[in-house]
Amino acid sequence: MRWSLDSFCRTVTLLLALVARGFAQGGTSDAVGLPDEARYLNNALPDIRVQTIERPDLRLSDLWGDQPVLLTMVFARCAGICSPFLRSLKSTVDRVGGLGLDYRVVVLSFDPKDSPADMASLARHLGIPSDGNWVFGTSEPAQVQRVAAGMGFWFTWNAEREQFDHPAMIAGVRHGQILRLLIGGTVAPVRLREVVDELNGGFVKAYPLPGKALFRCFQYDPATQKYRPDWGFLLLFLPGSVALFGTFWIFRTARR
Amino acid sequence: MADTLDSAPSPYRGLTFVWILTVLALFPILVILGFFLRALQADYMTKLRPEWFYAVMTLHGLGMVGTWYVGSMAGVSYLLSRYVKPSVVISRIAFGATLLGVVLLLACTLIGRLGVGWYFLYPLPLHSKGVWPAWATAAFLGSLGVFGVGWTIWSLDLLRAIAQRYSFSAAMAWHYLRGKQNPEVPPLVLIVTVSMVSSLAGFVAAVVLLVLYVLELLGGFNNDALLMKNLTFFFGHVLVNITMYLGVAVVYELLPAYAGRPWKTNKIMALAWNTVLFLVMFAYLHHLYMDFAQPQWLQYLGQISSYLISVPAAVVSIFGALLLVYRSRMRWNLVSLLMCFGVMGWAIGGVAAVIDSTVAVNLRFHNTLWVPAHFHTYYLMGVVLMILAFAYYLGEQGSGIAERQGLTKLIVALIVLGGYGFLMMFYYGGAHSVPRRYAHYPEEVSQGIGQARVALVFISLLLVGLALYLWETARRCFKALSASSASS
Repeated sequence: MRWSLDSFCRTVTLLLALVARGFAQGGTSDAVGLPDEARYLNNALPDIRVQTIERPDLRLSDLWGDQPVLLTMVFARCAGICSPFLRSLKSTVDRVGGLGLDYRVVVLSFDPKDSPADMASLARHLGIPSDGNWVFGTSEPAQVQRVAAGMGFWFTWNAEREQFDHPAMIAGVRHGQILRLLIGGTVAPVRLREVVDELNGGFVKAYPLPGKALFRCFQYDPATQKYRPDWGFLLLFLPGSVALFGTFWIFRTARR
Repeated sequence: MADTLDSAPSPYRGLTFVWILTVLALFPILVILGFFLRALQADYMTKLRPEWFYAVMTLHGLGMVGTWYVGSMAGVSYLLSRYVKPSVVISRIAFGATLLGVVLLLACTLIGRLGVGWYFLYPLPLHSKGVWPAWATAAFLGSLGVFGVGWTIWSLDLLRAIAQRYSFSAAMAWHYLRGKQNPEVPPLVLIVTVSMVSSLAGFVAAVVLLVLYVLELLGGFNNDALLMKNLTFFFGHVLVNITMYLGVAVVYELLPAYAGRPWKTNKIMALAWNTVLFLVMFAYLHHLYMDFAQPQWLQYLGQISSYLISVPAAVVSIFGALLLVYRSRMRWNLVSLLMCFGVMGWAIGGVAAVIDSTVAVNLRFHNTLWVPAHFHTYYLMGVVLMILAFAYYLGEQGSGIAERQGLTKLIVALIVLGGYGFLMMFYYGGAHSVPRRYAHYPEEVSQGIGQARVALVFISLLLVGLALYLWETARRCFKALSASSASS
């Protein structure tokens, strides 16, 4: 009995230590450096000057004044996420539709070395037409920093790799205010459709936050505006089922 | 149905005394913690940091829920031993697990100052923002795990004991639904069977919840907040409901002895308690009315289940108790008085709960003091009185100490007056939109300060009544226990 009590105490201590270690490692999404959307919702972005190759003296309010804007930040020399991310964004925008009618896309460089010509070249490289619905521009470093801070975007120069470290993200902006953040290198049509709906006055009841969720209870489909049960929903049936089957087993095997 | 008082000592008797004396020791401490919470809200301790309010609220809430769960389990286990043979060893293991869980809970709240509330809604335990250390959350989850393991084993053992005498259909009284009376199944067996199946479901939900917490901590992914909230309230609501049902089971078993009439299982009772087994799994959904991400059909299900569940358990039991007492040669003493007031508290708290479970009303009352008002009513003035009645009954048997009628009346008057006065301040505050869980009321709802001050007066009355009750009960319990030990 004493041995088993010792074992029990040791097991409990070990479990507690494991869980505490998980805390010490910061096992939540906070650790991966992604902005917490809730902190930035309804933030007013600064109305900075933007230079594009077509329009050297543009303000952001000229762009979001008549239409909502999807604002993203990249740099032209990026050897990492920027090009795949912009390709994903273009592909999804083509699938979702509504560009020019419901919103426009603004791609702003955060690299002080980028010029409007570099950004135009990047757009051509990605096969994006310069029709006013996609705006590739640059701005003063201090102005760019203000916009980045306003939407939770960050970038740091890595001298060894001669590249910037930065996340891939989009801010859904209406009349200068952030309504949604989309975070991640791949832009899913279902998520972009939600953002566009919300930018145009729709009410999106629920959407997943960035980070990997093991089980979700329900998934919201913005196309049909309905919920469908997801794998996590099955977990809600588990307690009742286990209890009933367990009880049947106890009564079936009991000796009377 | 045993319609006479105990004459022979049960092998459970000694252990039940230990359980009940532990419950009686914890209860006044937890009431004093409640007094402390209202004193903070009454602005009497303005220099104390609000973190203390939330840490003590967590201890008070989880402590009360756990204390009365084990109190009611100890009560029904003892009474069930009249018909079947629950294991004394398993009950001891549950006692050990409960003590270990209490130690962890005390450490995480009083030393670690963990303030997540007894419902520990995700993701709050994982985001202390420096208010409490990481070990406190680990200890808290550990205490829940230890409680869960001990109480699950205990629940399984009660089912095993019942299964050794009754088939499942007999224990669920299905033959009564077909119009047959044999074998005779006491209401206690039926209610405990329904309650144990439900509590197992609740504990499985808790296991899933804890596993998801631990996986998030170790695996670096997020959980779905809606899923976690559903699981939390599945577990919590079922646990609280089961505690009440077990208290009612004690009343079903003991009250007939005082009324001098039998209270037997019949078709309506069988139907009612079978319906409870189904509905109790869905009633928790009313806790998620304000979660607009929850699909609408689940909200409808929550509304319907919450309304329907009040009919079979509450109405059938309350009318049954009234019919039992009506024009009977009732032997009024502290046991029967506390049981009847307990049933009354259950009815009043149940009505307040049904009001709050109405979506249109919940829109206004959600997170106001109405919520603690209703659950304190069916706890403090409901199941707590039922278990206090059982504790006194246990001490009364074999102690040989005569009851003083005047003192009994004084105890009941103080408990009822103090209890309902304290509750009225919650109801009044809730009806006037005073929010719950505020350590200090801001100017907009400063009327809550005055209400908390009035509540303190009533809690003081309650404490005086409780002190008298404890004195009367504890001395009977100790005498009966020593007499029982001497005879064995």
